[in-house]
Amino acid sequence: MRSIAAASDPTKHFFQPIIVCLTVASVALTLFVIWISLHDLSLMRAGREKFVGLDNYIRFLGDPRAMAALWRTVLFTTLATVIEIALGLAVVLFLDRDFVMKRLVRTLLLVPIIMTPVVVGLTWRFLFDPATGMANYVLSLVGIAQVDWLGSPQIALFSVLIADIWQWTPFVILLVMAALESAPTDPLNAARVDGAREWQVTWYVLLPMLRRALAIVALIRAIDSIKAFDLFYIMTRGGPALSTETLNYYGYIVAFTNFDISYALAIAIILTLFTNVALLTMYSVLFPKTGNR
Amino acid sequence: MAQLSIRSVSKSYGAVSVLDDISVEVEEGSFVVLLGPSGCGKSTLLHAVAGLNPIDSGTIVIGDRNVTNLPARERDVAMVFQSYALYPTMTVAQNIAFPLKMRGLDRRTSDEKVTGVARLLQIEPLMSRLPRELSGGQRQRVAIGRALVRDPRLFLFDEPLSNLDAALRTELRAEIKRLHQSIRRTMVYVTHDQTEALTLADKIVVLKAGRIEQTGTPLSLYDDPDNAFVAGFIGTPRMNFLKATVVDDGKALAAGEAKVDISHLNTRLENGRTVKLGIRPEHLDEKEGVALTLAVDVTERLGSTSYVHGALPSGETVVAERREDQPRFGDTITLRFQPRRARVFDGEGSRIR
Repeated sequence: MRSIAAASDPTKHFFQPIIVCLTVASVALTLFVIWISLHDLSLMRAGREKFVGLDNYIRFLGDPRAMAALWRTVLFTTLATVIEIALGLAVVLFLDRDFVMKRLVRTLLLVPIIMTPVVVGLTWRFLFDPATGMANYVLSLVGIAQVDWLGSPQIALFSVLIADIWQWTPFVILLVMAALESAPTDPLNAARVDGAREWQVTWYVLLPMLRRALAIVALIRAIDSIKAFDLFYIMTRGGPALSTETLNYYGYIVAFTNFDISYALAIAIILTLFTNVALLTMYSVLFPKTGNR
Repeated sequence: MAQLSIRSVSKSYGAVSVLDDISVEVEEGSFVVLLGPSGCGKSTLLHAVAGLNPIDSGTIVIGDRNVTNLPARERDVAMVFQSYALYPTMTVAQNIAFPLKMRGLDRRTSDEKVTGVARLLQIEPLMSRLPRELSGGQRQRVAIGRALVRDPRLFLFDEPLSNLDAALRTELRAEIKRLHQSIRRTMVYVTHDQTEALTLADKIVVLKAGRIEQTGTPLSLYDDPDNAFVAGFIGTPRMNFLKATVVDDGKALAAGEAKVDISHLNTRLENGRTVKLGIRPEHLDEKEGVALTLAVDVTERLGSTSYVHGALPSGETVVAERREDQPRFGDTITLRFQPRRARVFDGEGSRIR
């Protein structure tokens, strides 16, 4: 491939300008954002900004609200990704490869994914309403005391987590199901003949074959969870008592409530760096031999 | 004592019967080939023996154990798949060691056995590779190694050579034959390739549409087929079938211009009955005997011999072997055959002896 590209391949005139445009756009924007984050631009005193160096980043390290938000982001992302993958995989493995009404089930699985997060958020807010919600009604049927799903600082984050899991586990199921369908069945039979019990077939043969698909789904879900905003905005607005404020949401508050644009962009850059480091680490753990797996 | 007994096994998918009352006895140490066209149920039967496919009725006995209701892992068989079925995420060494690991063998004994098998199959340099880094022939060697390492009671091969190219197929075929001669284990081998069946088997079971057509040694199937299907399926190019009518009070057949003496048959056929006369291409190159006139279409030159394709005056197409000369398109040649070499089949395809 390389030698063909190196020779005069006329198709490069079509794709190279686009690559240049995209590169320039992203590099220029990134540099611009970094540049602003090194100032103290605030919409409250527009026109009087000055260069402050790394002050905004130092301020971040000393900002307990930001640190708490970062921790919440880590917690939410980890829990959401792990639970969604585990649950999705379990559902796929327990369903047969071919079962009745598979097409119907697959269509139904798409429903939560297609629903806009605003609708999902509102629906779950109704479900979680302490007085009239279905969630407490169901709990009351089995004799468990009422829970203040979205009003209690200890519980609210997990309530949002439940909504997120409800919306995105089907996505994991769909992708893993597709991976399972395209995986060859002969190695599974070979393992059975070779003396493996069903759990050993799954553990030693099937799961390693699905690893790639699972890793990709996990990456997608982790990135989405870090960026999660709409569910939080609709369900809790970061409350109660900041207990569901993620870093992404905090950045939004800083920018559009406090109008502290430079600090908000510093937070955004920290979030980006953090995301990249975390995901690259995750990627290298999931794909040990680079590139060719 | 038979190492494997398949007793009146039947299986159907809905209304479609894929195995219909199949019974096969496999002697200890023998090499049995299940042969048939695709869709004849031969792989289904093999999978049933392995325990991967439940059967509707019948019994499968391996050694002295009735394994009909046992899961695959307790049947003590090893299987080689057409798709190789190597574990894609394990190295060659891990692949071969897997059956031992599942049996809880300790690491040292396992390593010894794996090395031994690798040496036998000459795959030692490949041990740390992954399956996708191997060629088709190497993959199938590893799959055979994985089967060998356990020393099972019974080896099952499911079209192991079908995914390989012609040269490798011949090579690996000879290797499987050599392997069987050296370890003398019971092997059941499924194929649609009659050359593989003829070269490998002690006994061939010919299947068609879920039923056994004939069971016998390779030569008996070739020389003495029970029906037109077996006669046509065994041997390349396939046997020629000509329409013929009984004449002379059952003493002869009239096939076009030719008159074929069938007084050696035990069955006396009534005059005027229509039958099929089967003659193999290799029996049409005699100096004397009954003559047929052939208008030549195509000659395939294979070096050691040639095959002539053409049509008789009746319009029936015929393939004949030709060792001496190589006729060309448009030539008219005379084919001769010995009447005793010809086989007679009735309208349903059953052999008339």
